[in-house]
Amino acid sequence: MTAVTVSRTAAPTTRTWTRSLSRRRRALYLSSPIGLGHAQRDVAIADELRLLQPDLEIDWLAQHPVSDVLEARGERIHPLSAELASESAHFTAEASDHDLNAFQAIRRMDEILVANFMVFHDAVEAGEYDLVVGDEAWDVDHYLHENPELKRTAFAWMTDFVGWLPMPSGGEREAFLTADYNAEMIEHVERFPRIRDRAIFVGEPDDIVPDDFGPGLPSIREWTERHYAFSGYVTGFDPTPLVERREDLRRELGYHADERVVIVTVGGSGVGEALLRRVIASYPDAARRVNGLRMIAVAGPRIDPAVLDAPAGVEVRAYVPELFKHLAACDLAVVQGGLTTTMELAAAGRPFLYFPLRDHFEQNRHVRHRLARYGAGRYMDYDASPPEVIAEAIAAEIDRPIDYLPVESDGAARAAALIAPLI
Amino acid sequence: MVRAPDRVRAGRGSRIDPTPREQSRARYPDRTGFAERDGIQTFYEVYGQGEPAILLAPTWSIVHSRIWKSQIPYFARRHKVVAFDARGNGRSDRPPLVEAYAERELAADLLAVMDATDTERAVLVSLSLGAQRALIAAAEHPTRIAGLVFIGPAVPLGSGVPGRDAPFDEPLDTDDGWAKYNRHFWRRDYEGFLEFFFAQAFTEPHSTKQIEDAVDWGLDGDPETLILTEGARGLDADATVRLCAGIRCPTLVIQGDADAVTGPGRGFALAEAIPNARLATIRGGGHIPNARDPVRINLLIRDFVRTIGTLPP
Repeated sequence: MTAVTVSRTAAPTTRTWTRSLSRRRRALYLSSPIGLGHAQRDVAIADELRLLQPDLEIDWLAQHPVSDVLEARGERIHPLSAELASESAHFTAEASDHDLNAFQAIRRMDEILVANFMVFHDAVEAGEYDLVVGDEAWDVDHYLHENPELKRTAFAWMTDFVGWLPMPSGGEREAFLTADYNAEMIEHVERFPRIRDRAIFVGEPDDIVPDDFGPGLPSIREWTERHYAFSGYVTGFDPTPLVERREDLRRELGYHADERVVIVTVGGSGVGEALLRRVIASYPDAARRVNGLRMIAVAGPRIDPAVLDAPAGVEVRAYVPELFKHLAACDLAVVQGGLTTTMELAAAGRPFLYFPLRDHFEQNRHVRHRLARYGAGRYMDYDASPPEVIAEAIAAEIDRPIDYLPVESDGAARAAALIAPLI
Repeated sequence: MVRAPDRVRAGRGSRIDPTPREQSRARYPDRTGFAERDGIQTFYEVYGQGEPAILLAPTWSIVHSRIWKSQIPYFARRHKVVAFDARGNGRSDRPPLVEAYAERELAADLLAVMDATDTERAVLVSLSLGAQRALIAAAEHPTRIAGLVFIGPAVPLGSGVPGRDAPFDEPLDTDDGWAKYNRHFWRRDYEGFLEFFFAQAFTEPHSTKQIEDAVDWGLDGDPETLILTEGARGLDADATVRLCAGIRCPTLVIQGDADAVTGPGRGFALAEAIPNARLATIRGGGHIPNARDPVRINLLIRDFVRTIGTLPP
């Protein structure tokens, strides 16, 4: 048997330790890759943080699709990011048709969360960071509470919803499990208040659902108000200029004055083909009801436009650059129930229909509650919406007068102001 | 203090996903294959590269190698990691003979997997019953094993769990508690046994996911095979003490002090029986801390591996 040998002539391993007052201020920022919205709000918050603390150096521990946004902006991506396991691929694998049980998908991501926490731990062990910001970085928050001695920096935690909620299809078992997860979270936070130096709810107290965490557990709103600060919603961009020059925008985008433009979009994930097909199928009926109706369906990078069988009159596009401009200029949008896109439409003051994914507790309960507060959009039940129902809803909503509550435009600055004292 | 609601038994047919498929892994193997001995095939997976190699030994065939899912992705970033399914579960064969499940056979499989994966030498990490095959391999093939980590070792040393004394082979007039550890009950309600057993294995609060995982892996096996493993020859106390005294490699024992399957006394006794062994006690920890407290266990193993050279003794 051959022995494994160790080279005696290898270069010495080197280590550097920086004296405390020689250190720059450094933050490690984690932005959830589930959904497309966190990256946008997090770079806005990072910009505001740098205004408040100009010598702040931010590294991002990030994966696709967040890393794409960051690379485009020239942000510093931590090299260990390459070792992260993909959370967005897991969510795509968990989804089918118009269905995604988000709570079970998070539970079934436990192996990935442990693996990614270990990557995070390696990064902070070596990185001389002053601050970690985790925007729905579930792994970091959970495992720091499980291993409190591993906390090495200040920690700012952010989320836009609090509380796992059961969906009816999950029955008694899911109700028990969500309550158990909530109970563990509550015990963690109450036992170790030192882990989250700052907990920020991205929204206002009125955005919190009126539910309890579970049988015998506190009211989510009352508990969250005690344990969180509130930044208001963070859009990540200011829609005002777009809204003010909407007529110019329409001209630039080629939308004529006598056209009624409906944009159908399902975001960048592969989930959404079923919804796209069904909305497209509603077009002939909707076009009979609405004069000058023009429907543009955005397939996104994961859905082949050719498989959608669009009827005459529907334009299917694989990709639309600066989609938010089209959403601000359109007459009506049809979307899934994700928070980012629906709130962009609320901020832009556009009418829209939204279809939460079946069994997705965040879209069906948290997001829906928030949109109702703003008076924005029309909730649609996918299972109860054959094409003729969608056509009817398009006709009813496209001329609806917009009386939404205004969406906050200072959320990023408020979030940054809450975090800045930690560095 | 918030009290968690009482555990609701998942029960047969109440699963949320009626046809559970394997959830996404954080990392997939670079290579898989079978090691064959006496016509029996043992399925293995190889991940990553780097010395020393880490061999994740199989535990009792009640589960397969997914029990190491929280260790594999972490260690594979720095090390060659080998995991395999013990005969009797997962993708390995299930020979229908009780003799096939003797600890010596499993130790021989372990060496066969090392050969098949070109693993000259490895740190051997074992869980529960895996301790017995690990002891045999390390004592009899010292040049192949660079270090030993035992987690909740099931060895016939020290004292076990009180009340685990119901006869296995006789029909009982009760199914309460450890009376479920009985061949007739296994045949009657295997899933019920698995749910009981893994509720004992994970005594820590909020362990629903770990219990569900383990029950699902248990359902990848079958009661008849598990009955064979129960009748197979394991180590007795004398043999265990002899093997322990012969261990010369660095050794770490990780033992939960709330282990309700083997009891903490067995791990503590093993740490005393092996010369210069280190003991890490997980206060409040149950029988499978690598699944329930994976971050701490990963760091304990990492720190242990860092102290080991890659040169043979």
